[in-house]
Amino acid sequence: MQFLSVSFIILWALAFALYYLIPSKVQWYVLLAASLLFYIAGSKGIPVALPVTALTTYGCGLLLQKSFARQKEALETCAGKEQKKSVKEIFAKKRKRMQILYFIVNLGLLFFYKYTVLALPVLQMIPGLSSDFVEKLIMPLGISFYTLTAMGYIIDVGRENCEAEHNFLKMLLFLSYFPAITQGPFNRFGTMKEQFGKTHEFDYGRMLRGIQRFVWGAFKKLVIADRIGIFVDSVFESDVSAVPGSIFACAVVFYMIQLYADFSGYIDMAMGVSESFDIFLPENFKRPYFSRSVAEFWRRWHITLGTWFKDYVMFSFVMSGTGRKIGKACKKKWNGLGRHVVPIIGTMLVWFFTGAWHGRTVSYMLWGLYYGVIMSLSLLLEAKYSVWKQKFHIKEGKGYAFFCMVRTWLIVFAADVLIRSRSLAQAGMIFQSFFTRLDLRALLSKTVTSYGLSKYEFLLLFAALLIWLIVSIWEEKGKDVRAYLAGRPMLLRWSCYYGIVLLLLITGIYGGNYDTAAFLYQSF
Amino acid sequence: MEEKVLEILEEHCEEALDYDGDSMMEDGVIDSFTVINVVSDLEDEFDIEIDAKYVIAENFRNKEAIIELVRKLLEE
Repeated sequence: MQFLSVSFIILWALAFALYYLIPSKVQWYVLLAASLLFYIAGSKGIPVALPVTALTTYGCGLLLQKSFARQKEALETCAGKEQKKSVKEIFAKKRKRMQILYFIVNLGLLFFYKYTVLALPVLQMIPGLSSDFVEKLIMPLGISFYTLTAMGYIIDVGRENCEAEHNFLKMLLFLSYFPAITQGPFNRFGTMKEQFGKTHEFDYGRMLRGIQRFVWGAFKKLVIADRIGIFVDSVFESDVSAVPGSIFACAVVFYMIQLYADFSGYIDMAMGVSESFDIFLPENFKRPYFSRSVAEFWRRWHITLGTWFKDYVMFSFVMSGTGRKIGKACKKKWNGLGRHVVPIIGTMLVWFFTGAWHGRTVSYMLWGLYYGVIMSLSLLLEAKYSVWKQKFHIKEGKGYAFFCMVRTWLIVFAADVLIRSRSLAQAGMIFQSFFTRLDLRALLSKTVTSYGLSKYEFLLLFAALLIWLIVSIWEEKGKDVRAYLAGRPMLLRWSCYYGIVLLLLITGIYGGNYDTAAFLYQSF
Repeated sequence: MEEKVLEILEEHCEEALDYDGDSMMEDGVIDSFTVINVVSDLEDEFDIEIDAKYVIAENFRNKEAIIELVRKLLEE
C-alpha cells in the first residue's frame, strides 16, 4: 500500500474517523491497527522481520532497565568508592554484552535482507527453490528505517536517556507507526511515547493543515519528481556516447531536484497524515539547496538520519574508551592537528555507514567516502578559511554567499553522478562527457525534447518549480505559508487550495509505464 | 567555573555566547566537531568525563545548559 493510492486514502479516512470517536485512552490502538494493516498490505508475503525486531527490542530494553535496577540495589550495599566503581563496571559490561547481542541479531537481519538481493540470480538457479520463495527474500518494507529507529531506542535505554517500554504493543506501534515506517523520518522513543499517550481531540484547523501538507507533498511528487524523472531515466538509459555532456549535466541537475522533490514530498505527506492525528514528526528537510557548505547541506537534508548517525555512531565512538585513547595519543604527538584525528575517524565511520545504509553497490561506498573526505578536509582547513579570505580580500556579502551555494551544488552534483549512474563505468564516461563533448547548444535545440518531455511538459515543470521556489524562499525567511493562507480572505484562500489540487489532478504524472506510487528513497 | 566554560566556548564557537535560543545544535550554531572539541577541553579543564549519554541536544541547547552540565558532573 502506497500513500498515493485509493486504499491508503480509505485507510487514513477510516482511522481518522475512528480515532476521534473512541475514548482517548485507547486512541493509540487505532494507530497500531492502521499501522499493521498498512504494513501487511504493503508487504510481499508474511512479514517476519518486523515482529523479530519488535520482540528483541522490547526484551532487550526491559533487560537493560532491570540491570540498572539491580545495579542500584547492589550500590546501596557497597561501602567505599572503589567497590562502587567495580560494581558499576561489572553491570556496565553485562549491559554491553546484551546490546552487542541485540545489534548482531538486528543488524544481521538488515544485512541479510539488504544483501541477499545480490545473490538472487544465483538463488533462482537452485532447483527446488520456487521463484515465489526467492521473491519473499526481498527486503521487508521499511527495514532500513525501523532497524535504526529500534537501535536508537536500545542505545538510549542503555545510556539511561529514556525508560524502557513495558507494553509490547506500544513498542510495536513505535516501530511500525504507519506514516513513518517506509521512509522515515527517524523518530525518538521519548517524544513519540509522550505523544501516543496524550489525549487527542478533533481540531478542524489541524485536520486542514494535515491535508494541506499531504497535498503539497503529493504536488512535489506527482507534478515535479515524477515528471522530471521521465527525462532523467531516459537520459541515463541512453547510449552514453550518443548523449552530449550538457544533456547529462542537465539530467544530473534534474536528478538532484527529483530526489529532493520525491523524498521531501514523501516526508510532507507523512507529516501531514501524522499531523491529522495530532502526532508531530520531526522535520527532515530544511531547504538544503540554500546551504553554503556541504556540512550545512547535510544538516538540512535527511536531518533525522544525520542526527541519528551523529548521536549514535559519531559521539559513541569519540566518547568511547578507544576514541579517548586515540585522541589523547594524537594530541600528545601532533598537538594542534592531533585533536582532529578522532573527529575525522568518527566522520569517516559515519559516512561509511551512511553509504552502506543507502545502497549495496560500490558506487554508494564511494559516495560515502567522498562526503567523508570532504567533511574531514573542511574540518582541517576551517582555520585557514579566514586567513584566505583576508589574503584574497573576500568580503562576506550576498555574492560570496551565492558563490558558496553554487560550490555546494557542484559538490552534491558530482556525488549524484555516482549514485544515479547505472555503473561506475557509466559514471566515468559521464564525467568525461562534461569535458570532451559538452555541446551547450544541445540544451537549446530539439535534442533536449527527445528524452521524454515535450516543450509543454518543460514549461509545466518550470512553472511548478517556480511555485516551489517561491514557497521555499518564503519559508527560508521564517514564514509559515499555511498560516499565511489561513489568514487570507476565504475566496482567495480556497482559490489557492483548489488551484493546487487542480494542478495536481490535471498535471500530475499518473500511471502509464512510470510507477507513480513508488518513491526513490524506498529502495534505500 | 562559569567563566572558564565561557572561555572554552569562545575559543571554539563565539556565536554560542550571543545565542539566546534553546536549540543551538539544531540551529547550526554549534556543529558536531565543535561539540567534540568543547567536550574535550571541558574534560581536560575540569578533570571530568563527559560520557556520550550527556552529549545530547538538550545539554547543548545554549551556554547555560553547558554550564549546568559541567556543574552536575562536578557534583557527581
